[in-house]
Amino acid sequence: MFLARIEGTVVATVKHPTLDGCRFLVAQRLEADGSLAAEPIAVVDWLGAARGATVMVSTDGDIAREKLGNTTPARMVVVGIVDSAQSPGIARGVIA
Amino acid sequence: MRLGIVRGHLTLTPAVEAYRGRTLVVVEPVTMENLRAKNGKGGGKSLIAIDELGAAKGQMVAFTEGREAANPFWPAAVPVDAYCSLIVDSIDVG
Repeated sequence: MFLARIEGTVVATVKHPTLDGCRFLVAQRLEADGSLAAEPIAVVDWLGAARGATVMVSTDGDIAREKLGNTTPARMVVVGIVDSAQSPGIARGVIA
Repeated sequence: MRLGIVRGHLTLTPAVEAYRGRTLVVVEPVTMENLRAKNGKGGGKSLIAIDELGAAKGQMVAFTEGREAANPFWPAAVPVDAYCSLIVDSIDVG
């Protein structure tokens, strides 16, 4: 699990059938010092995270498999939206 | 899932039985900088992914890596590292 910042939304018509109806967001992984990873990721969101929010992402596909079935390729899922975190980097106003 | 641009297709002859009839694409991952610039550039290290959606050269896809990449073939055992989960229509990163 890691923290990531929501940067935007993804629109996709053509996708794996198990992903129909899923909300996809673009996120950037947050390092402990508050810096952002160079490569973005696409995450599945059932919690309604807004742009700029800091979220916790799980890379375990079990949650997705439970909801979407055994054949789903979904892996990165928003498992929580961060209210507060005691971390030096994150304290520098990274959390919106 | 990571985001990448399809750079081409790949055929294997011969290949392991599990790959018969499968489409393979070369994907170049996109960095946040290039994604915001919408310049069609990637910037990441290319990799091969299985594609069942029919992604064309130049299209952006989101691909799953790791164990979950093999889930669509469950319960069959297919040796797959990366799987194209969706074709991106548009991305809004403000």
